[in-house]
Amino acid sequence: MTNQICISRIFDAPRELVYQAFVDPDQLARWFGPVGASVPRDTVEIDARVGGRLRFVMTVDADPGFRNPIDAVFTAVTENELLVADMAAEGVPGVDGTLRATLRLEFHDEGDGKTRLELRQGPFDPEIGDQTRTGWESSFTKLDALL
Amino acid sequence: MSGDQLSVIFGALADPTRRAILARLAEGDATVTELAEPFAISMPAISRHLKVLQRAGLISRSRSGQWLSSTLEAAPLREATDWMEQYRRFWDESFERLDAHLRRVRQQREGTEP
Repeated sequence: MTNQICISRIFDAPRELVYQAFVDPDQLARWFGPVGASVPRDTVEIDARVGGRLRFVMTVDADPGFRNPIDAVFTAVTENELLVADMAAEGVPGVDGTLRATLRLEFHDEGDGKTRLELRQGPFDPEIGDQTRTGWESSFTKLDALL
Repeated sequence: MSGDQLSVIFGALADPTRRAILARLAEGDATVTELAEPFAISMPAISRHLKVLQRAGLISRSRSGQWLSSTLEAAPLREATDWMEQYRRFWDESFERLDAHLRRVRQQREGTEP
């Protein structure tokens, strides 16, 4: 049990290409979101600098009324290596009001033209402060057995 | 489960003492005195933590003899975990699409470069 998501994934492309897929608005609009969701290109705004904005709207093809606007501010940017953004999302299923979370993306060179992306998103609550980010896993080892 | 409830649960889970209390209750029911034992904090402080956990639905409390005993309620915790799991699937599916996108970008690149 954690209150953040960690995903590690290898992409068969060099770091610069994977990084560009996140910071180039034309590219982000082409892949972001699960199957059946879309990001209209004209809603995407990305300024990959500290203090710069990341904004876009996600829509669901089967439900034309559904809009999931995402608004984030970059807090750390190292080209081809690191993106950190404080995000606020509206219209997230299961959440009333605004969902806030920090998104951290690390781009690691795996050699052989491959990239390992490390994603961390969370904590998923505005009240949860920095002091809680460590030590979460160990406290929950016993609980995991129950769930 | 409403979003408000989910926020309350995540808020309750934010505190290390409260997580430790839940971990202890995973082993079995306990009284305030038993729960306070491993911590260098007062029983009233433990009671406050228990109230937060109870409000979030993560524990229930019942009287056994003269003591109030706390019981872990696993269902709300599972709902919070399920919710996180949806988010993980969101990224997994996005990354499937990113994979395909990167393949196209590489092909274009290799097609235009000597």
